[in-house]
Amino acid sequence: MHEMSLVQGLLQQLRELASEHNTSRILKVTMVIGPLSGVVVDSFKFGFEVLTRQDELVQDAELEIVIPEVGYRCSACQNLQKTAGERPHQCAACGDTLLIAEEGNDLILQQVEME
Amino acid sequence: MCDACGCQTHTHDHDHGHGHSQTHDDSVIVEINRSLFAANDAMARSNREHFDEERIVVLNLISSPGSGKTTLLEHTIDRIGSEIKIGVIEGDIETERDAERIRAKGVPAIQLTTGGACHLDASMIHRGFHQLQKEPGGNSIDLLVIENVGNLVCPATFDLGEHTRVVLVSVPEGPDKPAKYPKAFTSSQLFLITKTDLLPYFDFEVAEARKEALSLNPSLQVMDFSATTGEGFEVWLDYLRELVREEKGK
Ligand SMILES: Nc1nc2c(ncn2[C@@H]2O[C@H](COP(=O)(O)OP(=O)(O)OP(=O)(O)O)[C@@H](O)[C@H]2O)c(=O)[nH]1
Ligand SMILES: [Mg+2]
Ligand SMILES: [Zn+2]
Ligand SMILES: [Zn+2]
Ligand SMILES: [Zn+2]
Ligand SMILES: [Zn+2]
Repeated sequence: MHEMSLVQGLLQQLRELASEHNTSRILKVTMVIGPLSGVVVDSFKFGFEVLTRQDELVQDAELEIVIPEVGYRCSACQNLQKTAGERPHQCAACGDTLLIAEEGNDLILQQVEME
Repeated sequence: MCDACGCQTHTHDHDHGHGHSQTHDDSVIVEINRSLFAANDAMARSNREHFDEERIVVLNLISSPGSGKTTLLEHTIDRIGSEIKIGVIEGDIETERDAERIRAKGVPAIQLTTGGACHLDASMIHRGFHQLQKEPGGNSIDLLVIENVGNLVCPATFDLGEHTRVVLVSVPEGPDKPAKYPKAFTSSQLFLITKTDLLPYFDFEVAEARKEALSLNPSLQVMDFSATTGEGFEVWLDYLRELVREEKGK
């Protein structure tokens, strides 16, 4: 729902980076979108496509999206279980059911390729 | 940015600590690794410092539309408004209606109409807080309650600088909200099950909802009550009294 405003924030950062590096063309942008970040990947892609259209700096930029695994920490034995799929029902090490998600919350601009 | 209060300006510092590498065809790859939530999070931190300086406890209420947030506020004001000075920031997409309901109780309230946006962010709260302070009574509050836009998805992603995030689910909505919207529950400290007077009419097990929520977030506090009958409400009021006491003692 709010992906458009997030993409606007991204473009703002890209403009700052471009002027800092004296470039007028960005070729590729790599984003890490955590599965628990609340960001809908398709909406983010759509927002990127729409908002980059009229902006020469990013017009031809490719968007690469990396989806990291989520880490679940067992509250009993501290074992960390990483998965790209469903939330595990119990700890693989001790069987406890209280698992706390530790990673996968963030939306990160990882890498920019520019001319 | 903030002449009104003299609070520190919120600049964004980009240190040049990132690495560069050259690729084959003369393009440059720059490693950034910066969160897009960083700007909001920085503003949220500055809001929280600001609230602490003024010894104001801040709650952020999030829920689906119609879970009973405004009604909860009205009844809370009726019950402890003479003991604790409350102020309210209402987030709504279009109307002023919720803020009017709160003002009718004699409590300072402002409405942030988000113009279609689906969540409040930290900079809206910063502006809203200064606006609230200009309202009659807005300069001496103990407890600020932010009623977020009715939506369980994105409000969970944006820190506003609150001390406590409160997620509400009403009995008619059913007990499966934690499973469907985990982030609202993992990022909150308190879970309120509202409209318990309707339990006889709906297939809703309080124990089941509680268990689901706790399996996602073991440190979540859970309360259930009906604002209209007042059943269970005293626990919530005591919770607020304690929060205000703690903040004053900081
Ligand atoms: N039976 C019953 N109804 C309630 C209770 N609390 C609220 N309601 C009703 O639920 C409806 C919605 O209440 P609001 O307080 O406006 O809900 P809200 O969460 O502020 O709604 P939005 O701001 O639109 O998201 C109203 O018709 C209230 O009268 C309760 O404890 N019991
Ligand atoms: Mg309301
Ligand atoms: Zn949103
Ligand atoms: Zn374990
Ligand atoms: Zn300020
Ligand atoms: Zn650089």
